[in-house]
Amino acid sequence: MELLIFYPIGTLCVFLALGVVLNKSPIGSAMCLIGMMLGLAAVFAIQHAHFIAILQVIIYAGAIMVLFMFVIMLLNLKGDDTVWKTREGNTLLTGLGAVLVVGILYKMTEITGGGEFDSPTPIQETFGTTVKVGTTLFTDFVLPFEVASILLLAAMIGAVVLAKSKMDD
Amino acid sequence: MEHIPSPTVDLVSLAPVLVLSVFAMMVLLVDLYVKRDKTLVIFISLVGLLMTAISAFAKFDLPVHSFNDSYVVDELSVFFIMIFTLSSALAILLSIDYNKREGIRMGEYYSLILLCTVGMILLASSTDMIMIFLGIEIVSICLYVLAGIRRSDPKSNEAALKYFLLGAFATGFLLYGMTLVYGATGTTKLGLIAELIREEQIASKPLMLMGIVLLIIGFGFKVASVPFHMWAPDVYHGAPTPVTAFMAVGPKAAAFAAFFRVFAEAMPVLSPSWESLLCIVAVLSMFIGNVGAIMQTNIKRLLAYSSVSHVGYILIAVIAKNSLGSSSLVFYMLAYAFMIFGAFGIVILIGRKENEMLEIADYSGLAYKHPLMAISMSVFLLSLGGMPPLAGFVAKFYIFSAAIKEGFVTLVVLAVLNSVISFYYYLKVIVYMYMKEPEGEFQISLAPMTVFVVVIAMVGTAGLGIFPDPILYFTQH
Amino acid sequence: MFHLAFLVPLFPLIGSIVNGFFGLRIGKKAVGWVACGTVAFSFLVTLLMLGQLLFTPAEERLFEQTLFTWMAAGDFNAAFGFQIDPLSMVMMMVVTGVGFLIHVYSIGYMHDEYSYYRFFAYLNLFMFSMLLLVMGNNFLMMFIGWEGVGLCSYFLIGYYFEKKSACDAGTKAFVMNRVGDFAFLLAIMYIFYLFGTIDYTEVFHAAPEKLILGAEPVTIITLLLFVGATGKSAQIPLYTWLPDAMEGPTPVSALIHAATMVTAGVYMVVRCSVLFNMAPFSMSVVAFIGGGTAIFAATIGMTQFDIKRVLAYSTVSQIGYMFLACGVGAYTAAIFHLVTHAFFKACLFLGSGSVIHGLHGEQDMRKMGDLKKHQPVTYITFLISTLAIAGIFPLSGFFSKDEILYHALMDGNTILWGMGVTGALLTAFYMFRLVFMTFWGESRVDPHVHPHESPKVMTLPLVILAGLAAFGGLLGIPLVHGWHALHNWLEPVLHFDMASTLEHSKHLLHEVGRHAPHWEALLIEPEENIWIEISLMLLSLTVALTGIAGAYFCYVKKPGLPDELIKGQWGYDLVKNKYEVDEFYDATFVEPTIQGSLLLWKKGDAQGIDGAVNGVAQILGWCGQQARVVQSGFVRNYALFMVLGFIMLLFIMFF
Repeated sequence: MELLIFYPIGTLCVFLALGVVLNKSPIGSAMCLIGMMLGLAAVFAIQHAHFIAILQVIIYAGAIMVLFMFVIMLLNLKGDDTVWKTREGNTLLTGLGAVLVVGILYKMTEITGGGEFDSPTPIQETFGTTVKVGTTLFTDFVLPFEVASILLLAAMIGAVVLAKSKMDD
Repeated sequence: MEHIPSPTVDLVSLAPVLVLSVFAMMVLLVDLYVKRDKTLVIFISLVGLLMTAISAFAKFDLPVHSFNDSYVVDELSVFFIMIFTLSSALAILLSIDYNKREGIRMGEYYSLILLCTVGMILLASSTDMIMIFLGIEIVSICLYVLAGIRRSDPKSNEAALKYFLLGAFATGFLLYGMTLVYGATGTTKLGLIAELIREEQIASKPLMLMGIVLLIIGFGFKVASVPFHMWAPDVYHGAPTPVTAFMAVGPKAAAFAAFFRVFAEAMPVLSPSWESLLCIVAVLSMFIGNVGAIMQTNIKRLLAYSSVSHVGYILIAVIAKNSLGSSSLVFYMLAYAFMIFGAFGIVILIGRKENEMLEIADYSGLAYKHPLMAISMSVFLLSLGGMPPLAGFVAKFYIFSAAIKEGFVTLVVLAVLNSVISFYYYLKVIVYMYMKEPEGEFQISLAPMTVFVVVIAMVGTAGLGIFPDPILYFTQH
Repeated sequence: MFHLAFLVPLFPLIGSIVNGFFGLRIGKKAVGWVACGTVAFSFLVTLLMLGQLLFTPAEERLFEQTLFTWMAAGDFNAAFGFQIDPLSMVMMMVVTGVGFLIHVYSIGYMHDEYSYYRFFAYLNLFMFSMLLLVMGNNFLMMFIGWEGVGLCSYFLIGYYFEKKSACDAGTKAFVMNRVGDFAFLLAIMYIFYLFGTIDYTEVFHAAPEKLILGAEPVTIITLLLFVGATGKSAQIPLYTWLPDAMEGPTPVSALIHAATMVTAGVYMVVRCSVLFNMAPFSMSVVAFIGGGTAIFAATIGMTQFDIKRVLAYSTVSQIGYMFLACGVGAYTAAIFHLVTHAFFKACLFLGSGSVIHGLHGEQDMRKMGDLKKHQPVTYITFLISTLAIAGIFPLSGFFSKDEILYHALMDGNTILWGMGVTGALLTAFYMFRLVFMTFWGESRVDPHVHPHESPKVMTLPLVILAGLAAFGGLLGIPLVHGWHALHNWLEPVLHFDMASTLEHSKHLLHEVGRHAPHWEALLIEPEENIWIEISLMLLSLTVALTGIAGAYFCYVKKPGLPDELIKGQWGYDLVKNKYEVDEFYDATFVEPTIQGSLLLWKKGDAQGIDGAVNGVAQILGWCGQQARVVQSGFVRNYALFMVLGFIMLLFIMFF
């Protein structure tokens, strides 16, 4: 049952991801990205991670992508700028790389036996619920949770430093 | 409503992190109230680093595990904290005069260095992959900004952007690797992972191995090992020189600490599968780093490539993975800190406002105008090359003996061969200093703080080379 | 008195620091005093210790002084310590004694130099490193000294940095030495791996018990050590740097490139005699390389016209003799020849320096001649040393060379002996060619130059060294072995019990279930035969006289004869061009890489590397070009390479 939902959504995500890379206009790329984010949210939902799925929709597909769209539109790209150019050369190398990656991924699935685990860990009843995630964050992972604030602080200072309009205060 | 159990919190073992974070914020606040003269800010930063170094000894009876096994205070982390605080302090001292000269007048600069150091401490003390990831991100974000802090200089901008883009790319690999390892073991705690591997209870071995490959790439990028090193020369070149020195030592040491914890401490049982990969990466790093350095005409790029080759040597310590490996890793990083800060200190001293004097040809005849400076530079370079009895030689010898003990003879032979090759380009600089006619005038103003750093580095390089024993003793106990 | 050992290297170090940092301020006179004074003090301390060593019973002549533990890691322990035993004492005497004389001489020779203090700072630093090398009590100490002398030699060769050739020569010397050092370091690592220690006493004590005679480990170690020695001591195939090293000032050539540093390889082999004794294959390699170099360099020496180059090839050839002696197990003879060679070769170099000084820098022998009138003291001392090196009774070279030839023959290897005798003939010839061309015949000196005798400060060391060259042979009077002072002196160091080692190796082999090969031949001690010795002496005397007579005939009697003889002889040209070895190295390493990179990369600039002297570096430089192409600066390329690296790692992991 799960697989029946997973495969179509998974395939869709892959195509949308390719669309992000291959699309010639930034807006198109961004739209594809939103689609992919939503697809991922669906995948999370199948995996019993409801809370994460909701977050994915609200934060990524919602907030962040809206910001992206704003920026793209504010940049006010005209004419040629809206079409991304690809540099000549390296096509052969890239193609070779792509073929190798696909080959190796194929080999990987062969080795892993199509995802069959030797001893899969059983999932608890409460896995992925908001309560569980919250509890975990405040007990087992309280340190990472707190440390994330330092990360955000550093990022904030960095953004201010780089964006400050006056060079010397 | 379910009652949430209160978390296990051990603030004492977290003391260095807390102290330094508080000081970083204090620097930010104080910076609001001082105008152009940043002396107070610098002073607070240095005091903060000193307090951090002291607070690292807050715990006895090491190792102490806390926060549900995601944080540890052990000999390795304490020693690494010493290296971090030392290198950050040296970087700040180097920056004082450099920033004045180059017009970098942002107080946030110092705050970012302190925050970066917080990240390094977390990185070296974490035993949880999520913590390691957060540590790496803190360090990286600070570095992205520091590399680009000279906003008017296109080179600096380019360095920052390049570092950021590639760093984000590498983070993707790292995170994916961690995910796969989590998938294979069901936990992110290194201690538990080690246990599961020992008892052969991992869910899927291929998944685990795939995760290991991705982790190698992630860490390999952070330490700048071949073939994930390409950012290093460009970024080292473009970043302000004190930041370059800082980048080459502290963050690298932190990444190596995590590297060591993940591979040598958590996955020694799986070593047959990752050993050969790391060997290849190490050998490639040595060769490509050395070969690249030979062709350089710019001193910063030369040192960047040479640092790539040094990464190759240090990786041998991770591969050796015995207790000698960890202590030789620590010793190497300490020795490396002195050599690198010394060399970059001289680079800063020789530069001036209009012309940073970064071409090797600019060093022609330095020995006749400023013999002391030429001698110091020679000592640092020869030590980097591994000339006995300087620190670099002892450090190399120590790593090599750790590897030989584990039977990696071929690897050591290649490493020795490389250290021989490396002499060629270090010597090239010395040739310019001692055996060429001066080309232009040197206008060197001996900035006191920079000279101070060079003197400290000199004492460290010579001292660790001639009297390494006390430190070696300390690293082992 | 032995606890003063640390003072011996300390004094020159102090001198070096004083001269290096304050040399400009304290003036030339003080610089000279400091430099010579510190070395003199070292010499005095050495003398005191020699006295005490003499009054110690022979078995107890081993004193170790550990200043501090240098590095200790796990069970590994390397001390910063000195070892005083008969062998290191001999070396210390040579280094400080000859070194002192050369320092004194340098005061005169370098008097008009622009950076006088720099020269003495380097020279003192060299003394310090050399003393560390010979006094260390473990392999790492030797390695420190080994690298240190290499560095000083490099700086001193490139001393006249205005000359590009000097810089090139310095770089060439350093890079070639690094090849040897690489092998040496590997040997140290391997010794550490096998024994868990690098202390001389412990290693040499454990070796006969732990290693199997003639098995791979000991053979590999000794071969690696020997490769290290060939680099430092300028033996085939790493010898080409030494003649080029003559670009340095002449006292440097005398001290570093004749008397002390280049013989470090011989010292190392003798120091490790226990290991070499256990590796018969390595021994024969050492002997043949030594013998080959002795002849090879001597033939080149016959064709050179630069006075210092002749002496340089002569040095290469004489060190070949020393290795020949080591290879046949005659370690005493090797050290004996090392000592006498230090005397007469230092004297010869200083003499040539005096000639060059007198002619205001002229080094070409074709522009000399008839100098014995103008420089009588130089001439006499030079002649004595030449007679010594040619092996004329009763000068020092006669005894030491004869002892080597005797042992080569008694070892049962007539080829090696033949090599030695041929070399002796050639030596006598080219050395007297040098004397005749320089001091005899008609003057070909540039009429504007007025040759003059050198000042006292230069001639006095010459006289002392000539005296030593004349009477140094007394150290090892042959025939009656009880009289051989050096042999008795070194006996405790070189003692090696072959029989018990054999038993032990057999035992070790039986334990792993293998049979021991036939080793009985190793146990046969050659019988002492006084008549063979006497006839050999007569033979070598005849050979030497023949060589001298040949030189007299060619260069005094009929000066035109050599030119007629060599006209159109391709063989002569080949030798004169030093067998085209430099060209061979250039053609095999340098040219193809330059051509290749030019062809492949339009911008392939050979300028990237200063002075295309070094082939290996060229190859690496070419690779560097490739790296630069990859390092394009485009982020997406970098990312691409990361992905390729990822694929590579995956490939290795899963296939």
